[in-house]
Amino acid sequence: MAEAGILLKLRSVSKSYGATAILHSIDLDVRDGEFITILGPSGSGKTTILRLIGGFTQPSGGQILLDGSDIAAMPINRRPFNTVFQDYALFPHLTVEANVGYGLAVRGTPRAEITKRVADALELVQLGPLGKRFPGQLSGGQRQRVALARAIICRPRLILLDEPLAALDVELRRHMQTFLKSIQTEIRTTFLFVTHDQEEAIAMADRICVMSAGRIEQIGSPHEVYYRPGTEFVAKFFGENNLVPGTLGPVEGTTRAIDTAVGRLVCSIDGQPKIAALPAGSPALAVFRPEAVGIGDAAEGENRIAARIDQVAFGGASTMVNTAAVHQSQQILKARLQSRPDGTSLSQGETIPLVVPASACRLVAA
Amino acid sequence: MSDSAAHAGPHRLTPWLATLAAYIVPLGFVLAPMALFLVYSFFSVDHGSIVFSPTISNYVRFFTDPVFLPIFWRTCLLCLAVALLCVLFAFPVAYFLTTLRGRSRYMLLVLLLVPLLMSYVIKIYAVRSILGGNGMLNRALLATGLIDKPSMLFVFNLNAVLLTLTVLLIPFAVLPIFLSLERIPKALRHASADLGATNAQTFWRVTVPLSLPGTLSAMSFVFVLAIGDFLTPQMVGGQSGFTFGRIIYSQFGTAFNWPFGAALSVILAAVVILAIRLGGRLESKHGGAK
Repeated sequence: MAEAGILLKLRSVSKSYGATAILHSIDLDVRDGEFITILGPSGSGKTTILRLIGGFTQPSGGQILLDGSDIAAMPINRRPFNTVFQDYALFPHLTVEANVGYGLAVRGTPRAEITKRVADALELVQLGPLGKRFPGQLSGGQRQRVALARAIICRPRLILLDEPLAALDVELRRHMQTFLKSIQTEIRTTFLFVTHDQEEAIAMADRICVMSAGRIEQIGSPHEVYYRPGTEFVAKFFGENNLVPGTLGPVEGTTRAIDTAVGRLVCSIDGQPKIAALPAGSPALAVFRPEAVGIGDAAEGENRIAARIDQVAFGGASTMVNTAAVHQSQQILKARLQSRPDGTSLSQGETIPLVVPASACRLVAA
Repeated sequence: MSDSAAHAGPHRLTPWLATLAAYIVPLGFVLAPMALFLVYSFFSVDHGSIVFSPTISNYVRFFTDPVFLPIFWRTCLLCLAVALLCVLFAFPVAYFLTTLRGRSRYMLLVLLLVPLLMSYVIKIYAVRSILGGNGMLNRALLATGLIDKPSMLFVFNLNAVLLTLTVLLIPFAVLPIFLSLERIPKALRHASADLGATNAQTFWRVTVPLSLPGTLSAMSFVFVLAIGDFLTPQMVGGQSGFTFGRIIYSQFGTAFNWPFGAALSVILAAVVILAIRLGGRLESKHGGAK
């Protein structure tokens, strides 16, 4: 049965080479028209997922369903997906135009239509005048666009992108991120984007699927995975974070207390039924972003932690303050405070009251 | 200071000697004899002894005598055919080789290279015993009843030269083609399939064009080896299988006209250089778009 809005379904998909398991029972829905990013460190199995969907390798178990039917037996050239390969895989003996028109040419599309659609695709990726060149005469960013134009010209249901920005320098990568996102919005095609770069994922994706060691850690919007991590791995994976170990206390409505070395912290468990269901006394981690930490008097629904300033690092717009909690432990807490033009009054060794709102504090199972 | 310089002396001399040796070998043993031939080609022969006064009569004779030019063109055509046939047979072998892995690939490569270690004369004799009027091919055809008297189609004529050269030179064509096929990234074939191409389309649109550099160098390689060969036509060509190489050979042997032989050799060398240049040029043209 095809489900409305779902393009592709992975159901307990696993992959192993001999005794080495690469993927463990993956369940993933790809929604129609979304920009979904599969994010994970190298070896987490993210590229394997892409290769399985593209048909370059076969799953060891489970099903990949397109419109409700299994596509395991469907050969690569029949799948309505096109891929932007990691090193672009442009045909070196063909011009840019012939590269872009390749998918149409092999389907026997009339020449006049190919010419027109190639011109349109090159226009879309802003490569109009370069059609007669060979890939060897293009820069990395231009090759990237050719690869993209070649993938979108056949109007596939899904475009698979295998770390396409990895080879570009930082500035170009930023530019291409915005560019890819705007193209995706314009042609309204589903993009499945594989990357190991957290910033890239956050900047582009509608949804991020975080992977680690062949398993899905969390699937959610960039905002969710950033502020409401589901696991310790996710909490540590995106930028700097504070993780304070402790034991769970009682549930009170949408909050739950955790007893830690820096005292009792009240954390929001809104939308996290799994954490709510854990018995009291279970080990857990309180997680809160450095930018959620303030200084001053705690109001209702806020946690207060006395801490001694260890290090103050001015970082332009914000100032990073490393502190050690005054309590019996030497738990390091990081706070990112807004910089002030008249300089900071914070000095090393000073004890200050840190404030963390319960709504910004989350729990993950340890 | 002077002490260390004295120590460094012999060490500094070694690279100089090595460089000198590296130049002596090609200069002394290749270029000098060729230059000598070029000089000889402008001499003439009178009653069996060489006249050392410059003349272009040898070249005039080659271009005006009705015997030589037709044989020259026929030989060029023959060697072109050999090159084409070799590439045609070698391509599937090389392609098959790229699909093999590990031990079986190694075994096939060794099998292909073993003939290169054998004496050329022995190999020609082996092919001769297959092709002859009473050879294996004819006897097999007779035994199966396909023909009722031995066929003379491949017996001591130009066809026999063509077949023998092809058989002997195929290994030389397999290697360059195999190497160029190996260099094609797997991702390109994946990309082709990903864009909807069938395996046959991928083969003709990606694999074949990208293997062209190797295929062309294989062709010029085989052509050069074939056109310089006089032994094979001598042994399987009979009366009708006369080639340019045999004419040169006879000028140095039976006719004892070294200056004319030298002139013909210079013409042959020009063709060989042209073939190599042409092969290299097409190769860089097709391989250049990387």
